[in-house]
Amino acid sequence: MPIHKRKHQGADFVEPDLPITPMLDMSFQLLAFFIMTFKPAPTEGQIMLTLPKEEGGGPSIPNPSAPDPPKHYIVRVVATDPGGRIEKMTLIEDGSAATTPKDLMGDIKLYQKELQALDAMLKAEKKPGKLTLELDAKLLQDHVMLLVDTGIRAGFSDISPVPIDKTKR
Amino acid sequence: MSHGSNEKCEPNFTPLLDLVLQLVMFFMLCANFVMADTGVEIKLPEAVAAKPLDAREDYVYYLNVNEKGQVIFPELARPIGSDGKPIESTDNPAQLLVILRNRANEDRRAAGPGNEDKPLRTLVVLRVHKECPFDKTYGIMKACRSAGYLRVQLRAILHGGDIGS
Repeated sequence: MPIHKRKHQGADFVEPDLPITPMLDMSFQLLAFFIMTFKPAPTEGQIMLTLPKEEGGGPSIPNPSAPDPPKHYIVRVVATDPGGRIEKMTLIEDGSAATTPKDLMGDIKLYQKELQALDAMLKAEKKPGKLTLELDAKLLQDHVMLLVDTGIRAGFSDISPVPIDKTKR
Repeated sequence: MSHGSNEKCEPNFTPLLDLVLQLVMFFMLCANFVMADTGVEIKLPEAVAAKPLDAREDYVYYLNVNEKGQVIFPELARPIGSDGKPIESTDNPAQLLVILRNRANEDRRAAGPGNEDKPLRTLVVLRVHKECPFDKTYGIMKACRSAGYLRVQLRAILHGGDIGS
């Protein structure tokens, strides 16, 4: 390290010369490394699922002391083949007298609207709701997530995705 | 500095160095270090209702599922197979069930005697590729249920706006 000696007000003092340039070079190299390797991470989150019950168990016996059982709605989704997109959706209330399911025409907005109406009705009746999504085996995860996400946003918290084919459950 | 004097003319690098070091510090702090469990490259679907992982969850088991429905185990978290070798991936539901049962048994042992019937401490998070067909995802969910894991969550990219429109 070079040391400069200067005369200052008649007394000798040493002025150290700190070499900034190599430090700056190194800092630039570090900066270049971090800029090139920088990749902002997408924020991930979770959606809670209700796993369906094991098939093959005995028939459930209603418990008279239990509070109101939840109203159970089933949305059946048929996927396009090939493609795995939503082709057709129908909605039915489990155990209701209605024999023909409501056709949602594969429209996610109509599905959302129907679920919101059902949730409002359940809230007015102060009853819990349960939503089962009967999904085509070929339906892609992107669309499964869209259906679950829309269901949660409509107000349902108990959502269970199962295959249409009951033998595969 | 007067013309013709012997004094040296040097640019002042110190503020520049300060600035560069601050930038280095920023990029170092924001650097995205690869996590052992979620380091597998999976294209996740988007969801508005997804919530960040609860910080109180101490035991989380990530299952990374690719578009073919194969469960990929990250290098640092590979389970050991029956042949004593680490398993990189599996698309066999029976093999996955064995892996999950082994883990569930560890959870039961950790819970201690008399607590075997309590819910397992581990939360299973499925990181499923957005193009994975539902029958594959359901097979994995079924294996989780059979192994005793009832707390299963689907992972998604948090989305701020309205999707599906």
